[in-house]
Amino acid sequence: MSTSNASFKNKCVAQVNCIFCENLLCTRGMKAVLLADTEVELFSTDIPPNRTVDFVASCYSTDSCKCKLRDIACLKCGNVVGYHVVAPCKPCLLSCNNGHFWMFNSDAVSTLNRLDATGLNLLLWGDLPELEDSENEESESPSEEECIRLL
Amino acid sequence: VSVAEENFIFNHFTINSYFSSFFLNILVDKPNDQSSRWSSESNYPPQFLILKLERPAIVQSITFGKYEKTHVCNLKKFKVFGGMSEENMTELLSSGLKNDYNKETFTLKHKIDEQMFPCRFVKIVPLMSWGPSFNFSIWYIELHGIEDPDVVQPCLNWYSKYREQEAIRLCLKHFRQHNYTEAFESLQKKTRIALEHPMLTHLHDRLVLQGDFDACEEFIDKAVKDGLFNQYISQQEYKPRWSQIIPKCNKGTSSQEISRDDVNKTVYLFGGWDGTQDLADFWAYSVLENQWACVSRDTEKESGPSARSCHKMCIDSQRRQIYTLGRYLDSSVRNSKSLKSDFYRYDIDANTWTLLSEDTSADGGPKLVFDHQMCMDSEKHMIYTFGGRILTCNGSVEDSRTSEPQFSGLYAFQCQAGSWSLLREDSCNAGPEDIQSRIGHCMLFHTRNRCLYVFGGQRSKTYLNDFFSYDVDGDHVEIISDGTKKDSGMVPMTGFTQRATIDPELNEIHVLSGLSKDKDKREENVRNSFWIYDIARNNWSCVYKNDQAVKENPNKTLQEEEPCPRFAHQLVYDEMHKVHYLFGGNPGKSCSPKMRLDDFWSLRLCRPSKEYLLRHCRYLIRKYRFEEKAQSEPLSALKYLQNDLSLTVDHTDPDETKEFQLLPSALFKSGSDFIPLGFSDVDQTYAQRTQLFDTLVNFFPDSMTPPKGNLVDLITL
Repeated sequence: MSTSNASFKNKCVAQVNCIFCENLLCTRGMKAVLLADTEVELFSTDIPPNRTVDFVASCYSTDSCKCKLRDIACLKCGNVVGYHVVAPCKPCLLSCNNGHFWMFNSDAVSTLNRLDATGLNLLLWGDLPELEDSENEESESPSEEECIRLL
Repeated sequence: VSVAEENFIFNHFTINSYFSSFFLNILVDKPNDQSSRWSSESNYPPQFLILKLERPAIVQSITFGKYEKTHVCNLKKFKVFGGMSEENMTELLSSGLKNDYNKETFTLKHKIDEQMFPCRFVKIVPLMSWGPSFNFSIWYIELHGIEDPDVVQPCLNWYSKYREQEAIRLCLKHFRQHNYTEAFESLQKKTRIALEHPMLTHLHDRLVLQGDFDACEEFIDKAVKDGLFNQYISQQEYKPRWSQIIPKCNKGTSSQEISRDDVNKTVYLFGGWDGTQDLADFWAYSVLENQWACVSRDTEKESGPSARSCHKMCIDSQRRQIYTLGRYLDSSVRNSKSLKSDFYRYDIDANTWTLLSEDTSADGGPKLVFDHQMCMDSEKHMIYTFGGRILTCNGSVEDSRTSEPQFSGLYAFQCQAGSWSLLREDSCNAGPEDIQSRIGHCMLFHTRNRCLYVFGGQRSKTYLNDFFSYDVDGDHVEIISDGTKKDSGMVPMTGFTQRATIDPELNEIHVLSGLSKDKDKREENVRNSFWIYDIARNNWSCVYKNDQAVKENPNKTLQEEEPCPRFAHQLVYDEMHKVHYLFGGNPGKSCSPKMRLDDFWSLRLCRPSKEYLLRHCRYLIRKYRFEEKAQSEPLSALKYLQNDLSLTVDHTDPDETKEFQLLPSALFKSGSDFIPLGFSDVDQTYAQRTQLFDTLVNFFPDSMTPPKGNLVDLITL
């Protein structure tokens, strides 16, 4: 699913690292809020992070909505870092969303906003190539010069 | 890093890999700090953690700490090794952790035949984590044991001496195998260490040096008669031998209760369910006469119990009395009939029934139950009953919703005084003396160690896997297995209607299991398997699994017939003669659900007998003698084959016959084909005789034999 909504295109692309062991989890993260409870901030991504996380335990649902969820943990340290929406509920699916199904809890990750090719500007989601070309995107791990810490 | 632990100081780690992000600290127990652990870099083997103790010690137990929440990196499976050096370690423990937040402690092997041995190094090898794709983590470790030099030093001395002694014995064995007579005698004289028991030296002399085969046969004959092969026999696997009993006067029904009278070899059978109604007939089967006799067609008419099923009986062989308690009442009947738990006793010699109690519940005993268990303690004249589901009245419409089922606790009945006492209430607490009641379980009384053994069973929809013993004199519960660890394949699974018997002399529990949990596939899954639990060694072994394929094969001889699979059968054990009797049951045929079996089988668990082993050893000696003769005097060898050697072969056994028929080929082989590996510098005859000697000594107890290993095997390329 591509991020068609204009406001999403202007969001920064974040590199997401596990806060416990600093393992790189994902290079295509977006800061977002939880649809069911907009007080909750998290980072989402569109591509399943492979070789960095794996599922733990079994599916569950929360009180806030009927989405079917499953926790994911960092493969290096085994700590739970987020969850995957296995099956979204109808209300969430129909409301305004960024189409991402992989979430990282903000207290479990540390993030860096990535820079674009020039190294001068922040990399935005609108700049990212479409998902089909994403293999190239994933295999490049951003070098230290590319990223600056925002906060 | 050197931190004092409860008992031990370990000041050094060696690890195969570690994940650098964590503070490598398993010495500190911080359950709320996710980084306070050792974590492996990956989960590819080998991964390990070696702890070096500051001083050698007797390591008796290990405790693992955990994280405050469940964690995928917890060790589901691991092994612990220990030793005085890193290269030379023995396995001390093979187990797994529960995925929770509680500390767990395990006993480590620290004795060899009652002699404690010391360790300087302890190696923990994780094998599997709870999340298979995740790495291994250990949060906190404690080692406990004895560090006191006054205790450890003698063990160290013993260990040192033991190793030296075994090294010398290996040398002696090697020298003798290669006929270095001078070296052998010199070493033996200097060290005064015996390679083996003098009897076996004598055998070696006769067999290898003199080739006096007749003397060897006599020697083996005497050894078997003196019981020297008994240890070997006890280590062999049992083979089941079923045989159907066709009594002279047959009877029908199943789902009844039977007890056996050891002394008079009689099996008693009372009541039951024939598929449509409860029964009240009472039969006795005499094993000696192979005949059923009807003791009573309707016990109710003789002041005995009314028709019933799902009751339990126990027999007091000493006093020749039978007791019966409990029964099942259909829900339709429960409204009208009063739910009194009547308790009867039958006197065999007087052939009379006595009502001991109209309602045991009113006497302080159990309420009316079914699917409970009952055991007799003849020595102290007590009866123990445990479990069973309490029958409740259906009552009015308001109560029509099913309430929580209730289970009965553990009760004791003092036969002399006629009084009941409650030993344990049904409890779902996890205290050390708490026990959960259940139905369909097995309970056995061990007359020697005076313990009740309870395992399996069901509580509503839950199948229980636990196994515990209750010391009746000490009023103490001992949990043998809490059933949470899944040791699949090596423990009889619950969900099967199990029938069990106990042999206090052999210290074994025998279990015949039947029904599958999966009620939809009942027919395919009704398979019987027979298990033996060795109480001393605390391990289960499967002796027999009903082979469905066998039934279709028409070529199977009568001997190999076995009972068709079933559940809800009855099983009793004749301890004196070591025979099991199986009766009736439900074959679980979906096409005829009311069908019940009425067949009667005996089961003997056979190990190789002394006579068989004696014949086998004679065969080995004569076979070798034939092969030796074949080299020099082929005609004489052939005669020997046809006469003497043939006598030791069981010609009705296809395997033995086939092997025998291939032997004449030795007459045509040349000598060089026979040289065994590792004996290149020795005379061929000497080498082959040595091999025969090595084979024969295997039947003797380990305490008598030379070491099993060989010096040459220690050499690696």
